[in-house]
Amino acid sequence: MNSQRFGLSEVKITERRNVPQNAIMILGFPDVGLVGVIAASHLVEELNLTEIAYMDSQLLPPLVVLHDGLPHSSVRIFANGNLLLAISETPIPAEIIYPIVDALIEWGKNKNVKMMVTLSGMPAQDRQEMQELKVFAAASTPEMLKTLEGKNVEILREGYMVGPQAIMLQHTSNSGRPALALMAQCFFNYPDPEAAAAVLKGLETITGVKVNVQRLLEKGEEIRLKVRDIMKRTQQELQRQKKGQEYDVPLYVT
Amino acid sequence: MDQYFDSFEKWAERFQEELAEKPSWNLKACTIEPLRNMHITPTEVIITADLPFTEKDAVKVKAIDDNALEITAKMRRKIKSEELGITHRRGEFHSLHCQIRIPTPVDTSKMKTTFNKGMLEIRLPRRHRRGIPAE
Repeated sequence: MNSQRFGLSEVKITERRNVPQNAIMILGFPDVGLVGVIAASHLVEELNLTEIAYMDSQLLPPLVVLHDGLPHSSVRIFANGNLLLAISETPIPAEIIYPIVDALIEWGKNKNVKMMVTLSGMPAQDRQEMQELKVFAAASTPEMLKTLEGKNVEILREGYMVGPQAIMLQHTSNSGRPALALMAQCFFNYPDPEAAAAVLKGLETITGVKVNVQRLLEKGEEIRLKVRDIMKRTQQELQRQKKGQEYDVPLYVT
Repeated sequence: MDQYFDSFEKWAERFQEELAEKPSWNLKACTIEPLRNMHITPTEVIITADLPFTEKDAVKVKAIDDNALEITAKMRRKIKSEELGITHRRGEFHSLHCQIRIPTPVDTSKMKTTFNKGMLEIRLPRRHRRGIPAE
């Protein structure tokens, strides 16, 4: 495993338009059940967010997304007046999670974001039988943990977290910046629009970001068809991240 | 013992995926490849597949030979290529179709399938030459 530590300067975030200050910054990256990506892409559509910035880095794979014949970076940031949303259309390779997440945290700090929230999934073995999907949360500081009380989310008291959301939580915690990780129960290996709807409901009760999930649930089957390829790639990448360790029970040394 | 099955299962999955990279859809046959996973336990092989837009009676599972299955599911409606996001080819998709190679010997005649909310689950008992290992 290449132990070279990539520098922050190798990831650039280029802005296309004015960036709103004091916004809530949401991250939706390919993860279990594609919960983050499905939720984030629904937010873009439902709230009519516009692309205001994109990530430019040689660390990312040589890939662009074509929309209407024009190229776009695979990691893009959308916004409206009080919301910033970073979304990636392909899974972040395990080796470059640190510089990518650090660049986003640094950029968010420069824009005085009120807090950072990652949307992702908590894989559940018996997801098939579940009717109501619980939303779990972890926070970067004790103050942020307090804001979760009384909301309809369960605090993830003990466990392992693997992936970009884990590094985001750790690094924002290191610098005392407010951040949350929201995880809805979901399928590990299959796209889960219902979990995306659940995590968006959790987002609404905690941050007040309102979004109607009716259309998300109606288009559930269509979404499951469309994101098959992204799910397959994400599966391969999750194996390299050793995502399975999230099932383990840690020995919490106090 | 569990580690053996784990690494075997991972090898089998990687083998399937790295064999040939091709699109997950076939316009000539009007089929789309569904997502599927295989889980190997000491006593059985469990295969799950995500089949959106299908009803229970439209799903057909056939054993091709002793260690391969074919899943075909006619979709409730035709899906146009643009709906899937494919803009460089024109066409329609009628059904979901895939073939699955099972890397360990199983008894396909004792196959049990369940279909719930668009998820297909197939359970196949494993064939052991030396008897079922004690749990």
